[in-house]
Amino acid sequence: MFGLGISGIKVIADALKLSERVVITYSQFHSGRIDYAWTREKNGCGKWLHYNKKIYPPQTPDEEPRSAFVCHVKRNIKYSPWKMWYIACLVRGLTVEEAVKQLTFINKKGAGIAKDTILEAQELAVSQHNVEYKTNLWVAESFVGKGHVVKGFRRHARARFGKVEYFHCHYFVRLEEGTPPEHYYYHTRPLTGTEMLDNWLQEMRNRRIFGGL
Amino acid sequence: MATVKSVVMSGAMNFLKMNPLNLLAPCVNTGVNLQFVRYRRAKHWNPKFKRLRAQKVIKIDLPRFNEDPNELSEEEVRTKMKERGVLPPRPWMEQPVHISCTGGIFEPYVPPEGDGKKSAISTSGAKQTIEFFEKKSKSVMAVRKIRTFDEDFNRHAFAESAQDIYIKAHTYMINKDKYKLREVVTERAYPEIMHNIKNTTIHWKFIQSLEPPRVVHARCTDIITKDNIFAQLTVRFHSQQVLAIYDRFGRLMHGSEILAKDVLEYVVFEKHLSNQYGLWRLHDKIIPDWMPPREPGLKTFVRQEIPVSTEIESESEVAVVDNEKSKTPETVNVQ
Repeated sequence: MFGLGISGIKVIADALKLSERVVITYSQFHSGRIDYAWTREKNGCGKWLHYNKKIYPPQTPDEEPRSAFVCHVKRNIKYSPWKMWYIACLVRGLTVEEAVKQLTFINKKGAGIAKDTILEAQELAVSQHNVEYKTNLWVAESFVGKGHVVKGFRRHARARFGKVEYFHCHYFVRLEEGTPPEHYYYHTRPLTGTEMLDNWLQEMRNRRIFGGL
Repeated sequence: MATVKSVVMSGAMNFLKMNPLNLLAPCVNTGVNLQFVRYRRAKHWNPKFKRLRAQKVIKIDLPRFNEDPNELSEEEVRTKMKERGVLPPRPWMEQPVHISCTGGIFEPYVPPEGDGKKSAISTSGAKQTIEFFEKKSKSVMAVRKIRTFDEDFNRHAFAESAQDIYIKAHTYMINKDKYKLREVVTERAYPEIMHNIKNTTIHWKFIQSLEPPRVVHARCTDIITKDNIFAQLTVRFHSQQVLAIYDRFGRLMHGSEILAKDVLEYVVFEKHLSNQYGLWRLHDKIIPDWMPPREPGLKTFVRQEIPVSTEIESESEVAVVDNEKSKTPETVNVQ
């Protein structure tokens, strides 16, 4: 009913005034939700691609050069977001070459899509974002968003219906220039012997006598 | 019994002779069997249930979000339009044409070789000055023509104002002010100026003019009708400038912030004389043949192959490439 403007209401009112017999077909009015995959507000991708438009201030020669990055997204893939999650997790923190290699050997629909997206992003990085070597990129972010859900029906007994949901998902990826860090999840990395010893020492030193001064 | 057994044995041997490997294949091949064998034990023997199960789900037409409209065949597009009740677009043959500038330089000025480097006192320098005066007569005629439209026109005063236009055009370009840029730049020059400035930060400074700018060449031409006249003036600028181009991440791509370079340029300005509100606008830059090739950029890149599909297409592509080749760079760096 969102699309029923003032003119629409007027038409109905006029029609009712004239005679009750006049039939108004509802298809004359736009009564659906306006959701297009290409509008910014409704596509569910937020400002992900707008990070690509940010221009950073010039750096002086003594500063460490900022590493280039490119954000890319594949929208409304007809694939389950929950299945896609495993694929998105797999490639995090890998170099682009390695990620592509790994995805090639995964026998899942989502793997092919993720691979295409990463390769597209790589192409964009070189052509538009001043990245010199296309292999010098790593997957800095890779995650999944829930896309458009189409509701369907399923017949049950006794004239009842069950709901069927056809899910779509968005696949987001950010490639960054340089080599990947040793540990992508830094805080849960396996500690070395010295680090463990340091932690233990710190723990010991942090002991206090309860109720003491 | 013995005879029967021997008959059976001989039959078996014959069978083995006929297909020597197929029967004994698993025993003969010592390698690992790589073929997967799948058994489906849950399938009902009566196939009708499969159909009935399928009928439970009401089929709906899912939207195809990632469908590329350019990939669709003409027949598919037709079906889609029929579905939605959309009429095909009417062919619109007329195209409104507004000529506000010419498409190039007519009778372009040929800069003397070694200009900006040779002293006027030297022989070659003196020769250049003489040549300049010889070629002047046509320019004088053109200037007279300009005066018929613009009575106050003065060559020397124009050269000064041309420098203002030149600086304005550059300032608007680095600020990416596309609306103001249109006032100082013709429609021909506009795409060339806006080309490749996306995602960059440009630092450009006009430090000083080494020689006062002077008009070296003037031409007039008419387009379509006799009284529709365009004028082009070529102005020589010799100046000192600083140029540094940074990419989106603030990393230096080209030039330097501290290095001032001497720049010699021949810039063409154009005015639509017949237009009462016509303005002198930056139109093009002349790149002489003798100019040494520009230094390649520092970045490594993969050379793009230009696809050649059919003869007609390739011809038009060549034309496009030629245009691109004739594109003017931002600055003609001499020295």
